[in-house]
Amino acid sequence: MTKITMVKKIFADGSPCKKCGEVEEKMREAGQLEQLDKIVIAYEADPQSEGMQLAAKHNVDRAPFFIVEPESQDAKIYTVYFKFVKEVLNAKTSEDEELKEIMNDVDLDFL
Amino acid sequence: MGNITNIVDIDSELALQTPQEILRYALENHNNIAISFSGAEDVVLIDMAYKIRKDLQVFSLDTGRLHTETYRFIEQVRKHYNINIDVVYPEASRVEKLVKEKGLFSFYDGDHKECCGIRKIAPLRKQLLTVDAWITGQRRDQSPGTRAAVPVMQDDKAFARPDEKLTKFNPLANWTSKQVWDYIRENNVPYNELHDKGFISIGCEPCTRPTGPGQHEREGRWWWEEATLKECGLHAVNIQKQTL
Repeated sequence: MTKITMVKKIFADGSPCKKCGEVEEKMREAGQLEQLDKIVIAYEADPQSEGMQLAAKHNVDRAPFFIVEPESQDAKIYTVYFKFVKEVLNAKTSEDEELKEIMNDVDLDFL
Repeated sequence: MGNITNIVDIDSELALQTPQEILRYALENHNNIAISFSGAEDVVLIDMAYKIRKDLQVFSLDTGRLHTETYRFIEQVRKHYNINIDVVYPEASRVEKLVKEKGLFSFYDGDHKECCGIRKIAPLRKQLLTVDAWITGQRRDQSPGTRAAVPVMQDDKAFARPDEKLTKFNPLANWTSKQVWDYIRENNVPYNELHDKGFISIGCEPCTRPTGPGQHEREGRWWWEEATLKECGLHAVNIQKQTL
């Protein structure tokens, strides 16, 4: 049995990070939220919050991210949403959506 | 976890070393590794790497909108080092669709990301699917806001093949523009003639302009857009300091 955890970030003022909100909405529309075992919050104002601790443990600096833990195997971390839904949930994504996510997430302006 | 810890540990060690030492590590530990060459001052990577290993894999993204000077420079570098430079192109049908629907200068009306996605990022992704590691000329001083924490070595999750690793090296991460230019002059490295015309950062012709005294180099790129904040960072470095 594989356990899937989503970590999303909440700013100090209580609002969700933009991408976290967008990803959660996409997953809700696609009925993918039910496939998660747990959603954990990384509170910006609380470094001891469970989400911030998981980010530190897995050396992740982006939100949201997904922790996929197959039984008796090491956890696998996904920081790229389209890769997570393609590889773990076997969902289809369009190239346009994938490129958009990459452009928003990764600083490639040096190219 | 083992792999993550390993990359972080090696990055911490490499971060204290020179770009040449970082490049040597990258080239000696990866056979299928390519240098991404933008046609600007990242030419120093080619010069440094060529002194380590002659069979370099180098690629450049030809968006179709580069300056004539940049095309001339890519050719000059190819001949100077006698190396192959794999010039990579966007998919013609996607460019045609964009231009048909939004014209040739759509980036001035919206943001540059749609055009960059088609002309640069899609071909880059295709190219990176063929390698195990890549080398870029990213430096922290190029954009203090978004690149302040560029590591010298990182696990590139965005472009990795499914269930495989892609390692990205940024050997110049800790160097300043001055150090790069000192190297170019001391080693007689060829450079893009646009630099003599006031260009610091060089990209596509419609999206790049010379900068004046006191202006940061990023002010020469996409100047019509407001700087956007990256708001999803979790500042893991700070977290580590507080928890370990």
